[in-house]
Amino acid sequence: MWKIKISGEAGRESAKFRGTKMERLDQELDSLFAAYRNAVPDPGASPDFMARLWGRIDAQRSFIYRLRRMAQIAVATAAVACLLGGVLFTPLTKHEAPAGGTYVDILADAHPEDVLATTGMRLDLLDADQH
Amino acid sequence: MLVEFEQIQKAQSGDDAAFNQVVLVYRKRIMGTIARLIGRPEDVEDVAQEVFLRLYYSLDQLRTPEVFEPWLYRLTVNASYDYLRKQRRRNESRMADLSEQQVMMADAAAGGKANSDQNHRTQVKELLDSLLGHLSEEDRVLLKLKEVEGLSLKELEKVYRVKENALKVRLFRARQRVLKAFAASQKSTPENVED
Repeated sequence: MWKIKISGEAGRESAKFRGTKMERLDQELDSLFAAYRNAVPDPGASPDFMARLWGRIDAQRSFIYRLRRMAQIAVATAAVACLLGGVLFTPLTKHEAPAGGTYVDILADAHPEDVLATTGMRLDLLDADQH
Repeated sequence: MLVEFEQIQKAQSGDDAAFNQVVLVYRKRIMGTIARLIGRPEDVEDVAQEVFLRLYYSLDQLRTPEVFEPWLYRLTVNASYDYLRKQRRRNESRMADLSEQQVMMADAAAGGKANSDQNHRTQVKELLDSLLGHLSEEDRVLLKLKEVEGLSLKELEKVYRVKENALKVRLFRARQRVLKAFAASQKSTPENVED
């Protein structure tokens, strides 16, 4: 029984010791952080800091300007290419059926009488047959 | 806020003198934060220039001047992340053929050249950097912003655009991991425990 009591106390003592040790370490860590703050003070800037910064800003600005200019040129070239393509390809796609025409009208338009005559077909005879 | 809202609004509308003024006011603070986040003094100015360059070209996206400072911190954190990522890639290729012991010896030799005050600073820096080495890059930056830069949870919430509770959990876990590493380092060097 006393053994348990002693070991309990020892355990508590040990936990207490561990607790105080960790607390002490925690405080030491805080002072280490503070010492680190002092060990690495705010550095001073070189005299040409602002000149170099503006140099970099201007360099980037001219790069952005060039990029924007190139993008504008690319857009303009694409627009011209589209226009040219439109002009060149429009006649090729102009064989459109007359709007509002019937199927027979479209056929007649596609196969004029003189073309049919070369194949031996006569439209006036076909019409007469229908009547 | 270190500058007036009107100054930021002027800079937003393309007033270069106003932008100059904003840079001059925040430069020291931003450079300090970068120095502590990236840990390489020779590259601080380059990263700071990157931050202000990004600021110049994205200033028109800022809707309310009230959130300018957290927004500037976000740009700083992002530029520092980008730098650290590049640096890690470079280091991986450079350090690939050196053993850990060789790297430590090289560091010690470099530290030995400095005077005692500088030496102490180097030791503090190296100790904390090695402890923070147990964290991911993101958690390292977050913990430094909180513990070293002294940003409050509210400020961090605005910087990260993440709920305060989520940040609390991340910070707690990160700190616990650092504490564990700190305890382990104390065990390995018993003379430090007596200090």
